Amino acid sequence: MKQTITRTTAFLASCTLLLTACGGSNTGTNTSINTGTNTATNTSTTSISGPIPIGIAFAQTSNVALLGQEGVAGAKIAEKYFNDQGGINGTKIKLVFQDAGGDEAGAINAFQTLINKDKVVGIVGPTLSQQAFSADPIAERAKVPVIGASNTAKGVPEIGDYIARVSAPVSVVAPNSVKAALKQNPNIKKVAVFYAQNDAFNKSETEIFQKTVKDQGLELVTVQKFQTTDTDFQAQATNALNLKPDLIIISGLAADGGNLVRQLRELGYKGAIIGGNGLNTSNVLSVCKALCDGVMIAQAYSPEHPGEINAAFRKAYVEQYKKEPPQFSAQAFTAVQVYVEALKALDKKTKITTLPVDKLRTELNKQILAGKYNTPIGEISFTPEGEIVQKDFYVAQIKMEKNGNNGKFAFLK
Amino acid sequence: MDITLFLQQFLNGLSIGSVYAIFALGYTLVYSILGIINLAHGAIFTLGAYFTYALVGGRFGFNGLLANAALPVQLPFALALILGSILAGLVGVMVERVAFLPLRQRGSDPLLTVVSSLGVAVVIVNLIQYLVGAESYTYPANTYGNLPPAINFGTEANPIPIRTVQVVIFVVSMVFVAILSYFISRTKYGKAMQAIAEDATTASLLGINCDRFIILTFFISSFLAGVAGTLVASSVSIAGPYFGIGFGLRGLAVIVLGGLGSIPGAVLGGLVIGLVEAFVPAEYSGYKDAVAFSILFIMLLVRPQGLLGRQVIQKV
Repeated sequence: MKQTITRTTAFLASCTLLLTACGGSNTGTNTSINTGTNTATNTSTTSISGPIPIGIAFAQTSNVALLGQEGVAGAKIAEKYFNDQGGINGTKIKLVFQDAGGDEAGAINAFQTLINKDKVVGIVGPTLSQQAFSADPIAERAKVPVIGASNTAKGVPEIGDYIARVSAPVSVVAPNSVKAALKQNPNIKKVAVFYAQNDAFNKSETEIFQKTVKDQGLELVTVQKFQTTDTDFQAQATNALNLKPDLIIISGLAADGGNLVRQLRELGYKGAIIGGNGLNTSNVLSVCKALCDGVMIAQAYSPEHPGEINAAFRKAYVEQYKKEPPQFSAQAFTAVQVYVEALKALDKKTKITTLPVDKLRTELNKQILAGKYNTPIGEISFTPEGEIVQKDFYVAQIKMEKNGNNGKFAFLK
Repeated sequence: MDITLFLQQFLNGLSIGSVYAIFALGYTLVYSILGIINLAHGAIFTLGAYFTYALVGGRFGFNGLLANAALPVQLPFALALILGSILAGLVGVMVERVAFLPLRQRGSDPLLTVVSSLGVAVVIVNLIQYLVGAESYTYPANTYGNLPPAINFGTEANPIPIRTVQVVIFVVSMVFVAILSYFISRTKYGKAMQAIAEDATTASLLGINCDRFIILTFFISSFLAGVAGTLVASSVSIAGPYFGIGFGLRGLAVIVLGGLGSIPGAVLGGLVIGLVEAFVPAEYSGYKDAVAFSILFIMLLVRPQGLLGRQVIQKV
């Protein structure tokens, strides 16, 4: 009896593990999970009275909540800043927050609520590109403008006419770090690439890194794969180190990427390390601690960017959170700014409070794509597809304090 | 595969396998005495890692309800490992009193106890998330004092670098296995536990207080989970509250492979699974679990009693 129960338990547990593994992997297929039940009926023919509602759909729960909360922080600062400046020619804006969670279903729910219940004029979000591929088509069908503030995967603006983003695609941002590494050490010849094969974003990012390596005339000595759920990278690390690379490029998330950095350094690797966008968060510092020192990461935002609006944003952020603003906060601020400035421009042509909501959304989308904006991330505009055209990019290098507990992203000149 | 790579992966396998072994010993002990699998074992593994983290760093962490809550002391790693694991052991005893004892007193089906332990695991994991957040935590850089980060087991021309932490893990694990083996086979208490495992009714007729030994078993089992959690966390960081779930499931594969209820079997099973995983090619690392559980399935079909388990003979 004892053994029967144990074996049954073992069997069920095995099945659970296998099912979990299947469910947990990000296959990267950009198929929308809408099944026809997600009908975003948009029959808002009445105009807006009171503050102008703008939807914010970021992850406030789940394993990507840390990223989502960075976005929420930036958006809240923008709401206060622009309302203090007089809002939309005297009419205030009101941000409506919905938790998009970390999965596609959460993002879809948030979008539907914002569109149908909250009657927002536009949406900022969702947090992940993978969520965008499922939720953005709902906004597209309802003809509601969406501005992605942290969606960097290929193909997001192409989802539809109403979809734009202020988060520069990884194909534009990522190569900058390779160029910066070569500037620091022109003797780099051999490159090893690591990437998380179970994550759609990291798979697409590594392709860009690998292409950059080849374009720069460097030798790609090995490509090592891992999972975002892995913690032990001994096998991959020793495989790569045996080939004596001068540069290692990692596309992963903070926990696994940080652990990989740590294990590479502990095994004696002294060369340059580049992290992808998944490592572009201070959360990585608590994983590899002192061994994070020197890791380079390309950025679409620098707190040191000159300009009045960035100074105001940075000051407000530092006062409230006692640290430098991260990229996602700056991009969320920028997304709200784009809405505010587009609404202002539209209001000058036709008083927006007189327009029915559906008409306002359509006109607003046209205005967003037509405008030029001076934001905390620099001067930006959009292509007709909604892709950001950004002027300035940066590369930061992690500098850890001697105790290994604190560190910062120091921007390279 | 050249000899250098073979040796490298062999040493990697021994290191992780030794952790699997002490983790699985906890499962095996509880199974021996009560005939049930304690699915909260993985959650206690996680808890042990957090306890030691708090004791080494003098603070609980930087998120959750206990964010930045400070402890009056910061202990050296060895002492924190022992104390953190003792705390894990005490939580294990509480789990037994709350989730196992009431069901046992009512003579419930053992399957219900398994479900109850799964419930406890979920509660513990969620409680951890509430108290210290979902982020990764890494032990301080000076956890192992001035030890070098890696040791070269090869030559200068053909280096076989192994991270020092892995060597520490192997040595500490084997020390605990030796202590436990001595305790079980040579001491009065260990022999009493063996007697209960053999036949609890007869043992109690001989004057052994079974209830007290069940508490002791849960304490030792959870203590070992705490040790295993701390050792793994010192190597790779605590990867959040769900950190121990994968280990919990892999521990099942280990004890079935080694032989249910067999202490040498748990050690052997742990080392075998560790070595097999180490030899899974790096590009297929995502399939390590599949390999471990395939071995479990094959073992159930070919040799259900496991490598060192006893075949159950039913007299009619």
